[in-house]
Amino acid sequence: MSGHDSKYFSTTKKGEIPELKEELNSQYKDKRKDAVKKVIAAMTVGKDVSSLFTDVVNCMQTENLELKKLVYLYLINYAKSQPDLAILAVNTFVKDSQDPNPLIRALAVRTMGCIRVDKITEYLCDPLQRCLKDDDPYVRKTAAICVAKLYDINAELVEDRGFLEALKDLISDNNPMVVANAVAALSEIQESGNRSIFELTSNTLTKLLTALNECTEWGQVFILDSLSKYKAADPREAENIVERVTPRLQHANCAVVLSAVKMILQQMELITSTDVVRNLCKKMAPPLVTLLSAEPEIQYVALRNINLIVQKRPTILAHEIKVFFCKYNDPIYVKMEKLEIMIKLASDRNVDQVLLEFKEYATEVDVDFVRKAVRAIGRCAIKLERAAERCISVLLELIKIKVNYVVQEAIIVIKDIFRRYPNTYESIIATLCESLDTLDEPEAKASMIWIIGEYAERIDNADELLESFLETFPEEPAQVQLQLLTATVKLFLKKPTEGPQQMIQVVLNNATVETDNPDLRDRAYIYWRLLSTDPEAAKDVVLAEKPVISDDSNQLEPSLLDELLANIATLSSVYHKPPEAFITRVKTTQRTEEDEYPDGGETAYSESPSQGADSGTSPPTASSGQHSARQTVAVPGAAAAPAPVPDLLDLMGDGNNALVSVDQPTTPSGPPLPIVLAASAGQGLQISAQLVRRDGQIYYSMFLENNSAIALDGFMIQFNKNTFGLAAGGPLTVPQLQPGASANTLLPMVTFQNIAPGPPNTLLQVAVKNNQQPVWYFSDKISLAVFLSEDGKMERSTFLETWKSLPDSNEVLKDFPGIVINSIEATLDTLAASNMFFIAKRKNANQDVLYLSAKLPRGIPLLIELTAVVGVPGLKCALKTPSPEMAPLFFESLENLLKS
Amino acid sequence: MSAIISQFFVLSQRGDNIVFRDYRGDIPKGSAEIFFRKVKFWKQDGEEEAPPIFNVDGVNYFHVKVVGLLFVATTRANVSPSFVLELLQRIARVIKDYLGFLNEEALRKNFVLVYELLDEVVDFGYVQTTSTEVLKSYIFNEPIVVDAARLASLGPGGLFMQGHKRMPGTAVTKSVVANEPGSRRREEIFVDIIEKISMTFSSSGYILTSEIDGTIQMKSYLSGNPEVRLALNDEVSIGRGGRSVYDYGGSSGSGAVILDDCNFHESVHLDSFDVDRTLSLVPPDGEFPVMNYRMTQEFKAPFRINTLIEEAGSLRAEVILKVRAEFASSINANTIVIQMPLPTYTSRVSFEMEPGAVGQATDFKESNRRLEWSLKKIVGGSEHTLRAKLTFSQELHGNITKEAGPVSMTFIIPMYNASRLQVKYLQIAKMSKTYNPYRWVRYITQANSYVARI
Repeated sequence: MSGHDSKYFSTTKKGEIPELKEELNSQYKDKRKDAVKKVIAAMTVGKDVSSLFTDVVNCMQTENLELKKLVYLYLINYAKSQPDLAILAVNTFVKDSQDPNPLIRALAVRTMGCIRVDKITEYLCDPLQRCLKDDDPYVRKTAAICVAKLYDINAELVEDRGFLEALKDLISDNNPMVVANAVAALSEIQESGNRSIFELTSNTLTKLLTALNECTEWGQVFILDSLSKYKAADPREAENIVERVTPRLQHANCAVVLSAVKMILQQMELITSTDVVRNLCKKMAPPLVTLLSAEPEIQYVALRNINLIVQKRPTILAHEIKVFFCKYNDPIYVKMEKLEIMIKLASDRNVDQVLLEFKEYATEVDVDFVRKAVRAIGRCAIKLERAAERCISVLLELIKIKVNYVVQEAIIVIKDIFRRYPNTYESIIATLCESLDTLDEPEAKASMIWIIGEYAERIDNADELLESFLETFPEEPAQVQLQLLTATVKLFLKKPTEGPQQMIQVVLNNATVETDNPDLRDRAYIYWRLLSTDPEAAKDVVLAEKPVISDDSNQLEPSLLDELLANIATLSSVYHKPPEAFITRVKTTQRTEEDEYPDGGETAYSESPSQGADSGTSPPTASSGQHSARQTVAVPGAAAAPAPVPDLLDLMGDGNNALVSVDQPTTPSGPPLPIVLAASAGQGLQISAQLVRRDGQIYYSMFLENNSAIALDGFMIQFNKNTFGLAAGGPLTVPQLQPGASANTLLPMVTFQNIAPGPPNTLLQVAVKNNQQPVWYFSDKISLAVFLSEDGKMERSTFLETWKSLPDSNEVLKDFPGIVINSIEATLDTLAASNMFFIAKRKNANQDVLYLSAKLPRGIPLLIELTAVVGVPGLKCALKTPSPEMAPLFFESLENLLKS
Repeated sequence: MSAIISQFFVLSQRGDNIVFRDYRGDIPKGSAEIFFRKVKFWKQDGEEEAPPIFNVDGVNYFHVKVVGLLFVATTRANVSPSFVLELLQRIARVIKDYLGFLNEEALRKNFVLVYELLDEVVDFGYVQTTSTEVLKSYIFNEPIVVDAARLASLGPGGLFMQGHKRMPGTAVTKSVVANEPGSRRREEIFVDIIEKISMTFSSSGYILTSEIDGTIQMKSYLSGNPEVRLALNDEVSIGRGGRSVYDYGGSSGSGAVILDDCNFHESVHLDSFDVDRTLSLVPPDGEFPVMNYRMTQEFKAPFRINTLIEEAGSLRAEVILKVRAEFASSINANTIVIQMPLPTYTSRVSFEMEPGAVGQATDFKESNRRLEWSLKKIVGGSEHTLRAKLTFSQELHGNITKEAGPVSMTFIIPMYNASRLQVKYLQIAKMSKTYNPYRWVRYITQANSYVARI
């Protein structure tokens, strides 16, 4: 096979990761670069390439900036999941931060700040200190942002190292980009720290206003926004500020314009001269209008802001209503906002033009827009008394087109117009009644019914009209039912004749007996009582004069409006909600678990954290009494001093089956557990622990005593690879231990997570760490008994069959000369408590032969034959199983069980 | 906190992640999916367009559409919304400057470069720069140019691939950094005067509203960044002197070009603007607007539309559409589309084109009851007519004009500008006998909202 072929072959055979690994370690630069690119490509499409960490980091030491940048990008993504390996990069980072090339210096600091790993952060401080005072502005501006990054990771460090002062110094920097970043960083720190570290004095104000002129457009926004919080001392200062800011209105960047508008509006509050204010309003109008020439997305933002501005200062755009006319190709969200502003700007002077537009919109195709246009006509009528009549005639025109939803919408607004101008336009009721049958929307129906009830005395056939609705009363929505009830009562009070009398009976009956809507029922009962006790009083109540309404829909509370105006050019002004209503601050460190542990076949707890692989499926059979019996059994030998652990890196660094931290408190009871870490070996921390099985679940029962002089917290635990792949199935729950305090915990375990290869053994190596001490390693012994599952009992026939089917080579024999069986009963109880189940017994001369069955995880059966003479030392055990390699472990636990 | 973004990503129309960069790590995973689902199903029926900004579970999502791709930013802070939207547009422009052309394939092929750009443009959520010129000194990856041959086949529509409201960019699709294979970089500079006009005619043909949104767009490929002087016609003046939009007339005869408002790119020096209407600037690399302007002064409508509807019995009507090009015969308009909504109960339409019609097509879109008439070309001064016979499935309610129309029109008119704003000359400072770069000054007018009511 030629070299070329073999390469091709390996592509298909080896899979992507090993191949990339090979390329990353290639001796050719270009090949390495291509490989890193491939890795980044895989990373961006969501593949887990974290296993290549070391190989990628090895490419970091290069003069090639392109390659270096790629490696840094990779590091930012995966350092968090490989914190120990990330250390490997520290040296290069520190070296890079002193490189003669400013780009490399800046890149090093920028990247280190993005790696949220404590060990990296420690090494960041010195380079950062240097870079804040670097000669190159690119490095300084990068360092300024880096302080904000560091503050987010470790605020204390920032304060201790005096970075805040350094940042404040940068406000006076001669490079505007550095100033802008320093301002941005200080503002963020100020907000997250909630204390004033960055106070705006008139001195800083001057500096910032100067920087404003030279800054990039984005920097201008940073600065303008931080200045908007500045309270001018007097009108003169306010005028001065405004004068400096006004030229920003001419900027091509919409964000700059809006931030400048905000700033000016804010300072205008202080300015007393009406001339100045008028002049400013005049200056703001054209730029605000120009925002509407931008992309529709920006238009939307502008419109939402303008909506607020015109509520406060309607004069600014009073003459510009035409620019808010809808274009046919405006997106619907822009059209809706424009309509709203048109209503706000409508005046006696322009109402004819506005009505013409609304009428046009009302025949467009978008139903929501049409409805809003119809409603807008009604709102104009309510707002402008002199135009009301013209509005009504437009509405009537629209009703005549007989487009269903237009008619319904028109009736809804006409009801409001009647409320606003009582006894003025009732002549049109007849026209409205023509459309009665077509109404199918609750609001429109309810409005129409209200009109009939309210003007019952002027509508000749009001009773007929209402009666037509009554047939369907039970099916109507609550809104319509309530209106029907009230309208019928009005009708009855106005025309107390036979027809209405009957109707009122029907309605009251329907609304009290036949309904389960409490609102409807209660209202009906009130009417009923009123009518039956004092009809005159009922008249006074029901037919009382109503207060005149005004158009306040979509008008904001003055206090809310002021708050929103203070937040012009922020999201608040788009949502029309105060910031606290939607801002949820989250510390950057809060990441989802997936982020930190990219896909783990290796994770210690994968699918079923609370269940061992096969074990817990059957209902538990053991009683609690038996538990305590088993707990008394200690695992000998493994206690005392911490055994040396062969492979530390493997133990601690096995990827993501990380040290799991603390969460749910449990209190195990029972006799003392064997000591696994003596106080003398653990600098005063003593740990006793043992594996136990409860209700089908394996736990690591632990007892921790703090005999040291300091409080210990942040306990975590990890298990090394072992025969059964035991690993923590959840976090270790240990509270902070004060000196002299102790705590019990039950740690649920999972099995078959990180299995040690090789012949089975009982060694369980454990590492426990806390925040104050070094990591403690100790060894424990695994008792096979904890794996025997509750469903291990076999049918007698199955037992026989299995026994026969297994070859003799699967039978292992062992003698226990030291064990005495004193009572068959007691022995069987003890064994049953450990899930070894009695099948049969036979007598062979003076010997008793007992047959038992048990089951290991993954359904491996254990067939047990015990032979002994009661009261005589010596027990013979024969074990037959498909996994005879388990025999030594079984015998060990059997011995432990029966020895006592 | 005024201006922090947490994430930036680009999604295809199908919702695939093309680019994804997390700057602050304070947004839970899956934000792209959450966003896409929300946008796709804004209202249950999926008909209504989602607004560019919304909040889901405390995360604010911003998006703009560029060439059919969704450019999205997320944040938790109470940021300046126009800032973020503007930023998204600028990121798109910077990427386009580098890649020469913006589409899904170009982004995918150049993802390493795109990520490099994103890291320089934004740091920890703070915008650093969006200037292609500034970025050049920090960017080391070379763009991989997508096959330009296939782009040509996009035809004139390609000009508008910049997004549906954006000014069409210059038709140049080469990267600011990529060298053309085998040849030296050509010294050239493009100046485009692009005007989008909006007009509304009343049913009797009066102009109700008229507006021009204009941009002088520049794209420079000059080496050594020489200073450039751009002279506009002397008649240009800014500000309507406090007069309202209602005051038309009087000004049109004088030849004055009165802009309501305008703004300039930050590289522009206005020192002599007041004296001789000259803009001087050192053009940065990449495409950028030298000047944006807005005008509501009365101007001549390039097209007049005449609509006649005749009812023929209760189940039939005839629509006659007439379009007249009111510009010089040396100028041609292209890609003209005229649309008119018809009553919802229209069941059938038969068209009758003028004799000898070339390059015209008609269609009745039954799904939205719309008549569509497209013309490849209209020569200045000419007039075209279309007759359409409508058949209704139910009797007319009354006035058909209330249920049909308005007529809207889209078009492109190259080498024509409605405002009469002109670039008199384009001077390159270091020009000499040996250095005489290509200078392209082009005018283009297109319809924004061009509507005739009936």
